[in-house]
Amino acid sequence: MTALTLLQSRACVSRCTRATISNLGPSIRWSSTAQTQSADGSAEPSASSPSTNDEPLTHYRITLRRSAIALDARMKGTLLSLGIHRRMQTVYHPHSPEFAGKILRVKELVEVENVPASKVRTKIEQKQERKAKRGYQVVGRHESQQW
Amino acid sequence: MFPTSVNLGGLLWKIPWKLSRTRKTNQRKRLKLVDNVIETVRASGVECASLAKALELPKESEMPARDKYTVFSPHDEGYRKGIHKVPKFTRITHRVNPRGF
Repeated sequence: MTALTLLQSRACVSRCTRATISNLGPSIRWSSTAQTQSADGSAEPSASSPSTNDEPLTHYRITLRRSAIALDARMKGTLLSLGIHRRMQTVYHPHSPEFAGKILRVKELVEVENVPASKVRTKIEQKQERKAKRGYQVVGRHESQQW
Repeated sequence: MFPTSVNLGGLLWKIPWKLSRTRKTNQRKRLKLVDNVIETVRASGVECASLAKALELPKESEMPARDKYTVFSPHDEGYRKGIHKVPKFTRITHRVNPRGF
């Protein structure tokens, strides 16, 4: 990394989030002053991932990868009972024998992951996360004149 | 496959007798994906009858090649036919065949 780009990176350290610093990789060496300028004060190594938490995994994250067209009506019913209506839809369900059985009924069509309760998202929350952030922030509105 | 000319009197649509290398690779990938689903459900710690049955199925690494790419057929020579002849074979589970065949 050239000196110029390193300087530019250090200049924006105060505005960088922890994630941005860690994305630069372990090859970047930060001075102690640069580190204290940032809000968090420490550059995490990029190897540590947020998924290695100690939270207990309590939910299934189920995504339909293959459709049930032309398959057994019971399989289609199972997908409906899981709350899945279209391909690539993701639903979250707590661990239980009922949902485990439903997943195994459609195991050829579905992708499953065990997630902690903090990762559970409703349909609306998933949609909000997909939305692109606006590139601006509204700080005030122009007060219109009284006619 | 390509259709042969009607003039030549050949079959209109040909289906290869065995799977190609790519199809075999994809078949192995699909088997591994199902293995992952069963493993995820097992790792969740839940116990149910369907999980016990699913764990009896052989994993992709434990299956002989014959069982991955062919199925038992009572009518064919060698009592085996290509798994691609089974309808919806990419979306159903068929890992075990009768013993001795």
